Amino acid sequence: MSELVLETEKLDKVYRLGGRKVRALSDVNLQVKKGDFVSIMGPSGSGKTTLLNMLGCLDKPTHGKVILDGVDVTKVREKNLYKIRRHKVGFIFQTFNLLPYLNAIENVGLPMEGTKKSGDEKRKRARELLKMVGLSEREEHRSHRLSAGEQQRVAIARALANNPAIVLADEPTGNLDSKTGYEIVRLLSKLSTDQGTTIVMVTHDSRVASYAGRILFLYDGRLKAQERRGTQLVKKLTCPYCGREIQPDDTFCPRCGKRV
Amino acid sequence: MLLVVIALGFSMAIMISIPSGIVANQTATQRLTENYNELINNMQEEINATLTLIECSPSSGFTFGPMPGPGGSENFLDESIISDIESIQGVKDVVPFFEKSEGTNQTVERFGRTFTFLRPDYTIMGVSLNSSLIDHYSVLPMNITEGRNLREGDSGVVLLGLNNTGYFEAGVGDKVNILGSDFTVVGVHGASGFREAIVLYMNISDAQKITDLAGKISRLDVYTEDQSDVDGIASTIEAEYPELSVTTASERLSRLTGMQDMYQNTLQNAEATISQTQTTAFQVIGIAIAATSLIVLFTMLYTVRERTKEIGILKAIGFSNWNVMSQFMLEGVLISLMAGVVGIVIGSVGAPTITSLLLPHISMFGTQRGPGSFQGYTNPEAPRAPGSQVATAALDPQLMLLAFGVAVLLGALGSLYPAWRASRTSPMEALRYE
Repeated sequence: MSELVLETEKLDKVYRLGGRKVRALSDVNLQVKKGDFVSIMGPSGSGKTTLLNMLGCLDKPTHGKVILDGVDVTKVREKNLYKIRRHKVGFIFQTFNLLPYLNAIENVGLPMEGTKKSGDEKRKRARELLKMVGLSEREEHRSHRLSAGEQQRVAIARALANNPAIVLADEPTGNLDSKTGYEIVRLLSKLSTDQGTTIVMVTHDSRVASYAGRILFLYDGRLKAQERRGTQLVKKLTCPYCGREIQPDDTFCPRCGKRV
Repeated sequence: MLLVVIALGFSMAIMISIPSGIVANQTATQRLTENYNELINNMQEEINATLTLIECSPSSGFTFGPMPGPGGSENFLDESIISDIESIQGVKDVVPFFEKSEGTNQTVERFGRTFTFLRPDYTIMGVSLNSSLIDHYSVLPMNITEGRNLREGDSGVVLLGLNNTGYFEAGVGDKVNILGSDFTVVGVHGASGFREAIVLYMNISDAQKITDLAGKISRLDVYTEDQSDVDGIASTIEAEYPELSVTTASERLSRLTGMQDMYQNTLQNAEATISQTQTTAFQVIGIAIAATSLIVLFTMLYTVRERTKEIGILKAIGFSNWNVMSQFMLEGVLISLMAGVVGIVIGSVGAPTITSLLLPHISMFGTQRGPGSFQGYTNPEAPRAPGSQVATAALDPQLMLLAFGVAVLLGALGSLYPAWRASRTSPMEALRYE
């Protein structure tokens, strides 16, 4: 049993919209182990992003606890939360959110600003990360000279800069064509497998979700008890009964009809 | 952004220029004060040195005072008056002077009347080269810049004034022709004023000869044995020689007091204008300071708003409030620095224009009647029209540096609130901002 990196307990989030209470999250209990690659699926408005914001310390829950790498972040004072965000969390956004006036390597180095690393160390680390995401050739390029896929790779490298306990990805393939999207999610999957990076990814694309080790479903702010294993994580999936290739989101084998 | 920098530059140029305007003003007043004080001291010294002196010259309707300037009275006295006055009891010495200006007559029409006056090229000053006189009294000029002074027994020689050397194109050792006679230049005296610069000194008999005025003198300096005799002797001379205009030290003293009052008035006017100018200047600087801070404030507020999303990103990836705040403060200071440079450039080019535009009082202060208009005590070094000096206000590098520092400080101050706001932005809401 590997250690828990992330745990939520009875997480509630209630927004007030013009005097009306809107329950965005309700009694969410989530546990993520070190090295897990977790997908959270759900339709629009189901509370996926809200949940991710709670996990990434961008927002505070109304009730409940978020324990990140052994720290109850709901008890950390607002002005100190940046330390958690800097050292324990890496964010990947749907719209990449690179700073347009910085080049790739500077964007990757950005989270290390304000840490004790020297300039050389920061640069070395950023270079290493860009190499890891396959962009060694693009170090000096500004974001507008990079393709969408390349921009998201830079964003992934940036998320890993301070070696965070957990990487949170909010629809990382949402702004990419499907081919590039799969490349990106495969990269995340590879990071999880090779480097043991713990990743929580929110998506509404079931094929993208299937690259994760675990797939969770969120409906109306509640996590479904049912949880599935990702199918594409390790290799191509085959039906254990008839051997035919199956899709990760298939519940029943299309040939033999047995539950897979 | 460029516009902002230029606008800031202008307001900083104002901050830089105005103080130099004030300083220039003060410097001018200070110079005025110093010059006037020096002038008054000189006059005081002269009076103290000549307390036993009675000046006598032919009275004339046109002369302003007892010491006719060039082109002034050309009335002459007969030499015999010397021995007559010498015989008055209590008179110690009588020093005769022969003074005649040579030049061209000029005619000027003013107020419907025609005035003719002599525009002098040079003034011949014949002095009695008697060692008992020239050694004890102020007869010859004091500062000899070249060659030597005149001495007893000199004849056929001349001591030129500074401006005479140019007019005659001659120096020490050269021969000059004056009214048809040749003279050898033995020396040049440094003039203490414009009037003096064209005065050439020679033996009184030479002067009388070349001007065909044998036995004539222009004026007399009468020295008494004792200071207490001065008034009595002066009234005796006045009574016996009604054609003479007589002045004593006490009369000169009262004239001096009048002039002192006049100078003091001028100074007071100048000081009043200065304080008025300063008030205006402080107001203008205040406005410039407020404008600078407000420009930085609004620019940075706009920037923060424009870059809300960026703030969200920075905070999401772990920037602390302080990191974000210092980032925006730095930008505000950078803008101010650039504007400061622009301001110095504009200021160094346009300081006179800016000061004269914004401080209209500066060019009006002082008096057009400088001390130069007083006959007898001409001092060309005294400021004539202080206004013209102030208009060319020069930038003081120290002052510029100070203004630059203030500019940067204001930049920091102006970006304080926007930067603080930026640091307080909720990252989640900032990220949603488009």
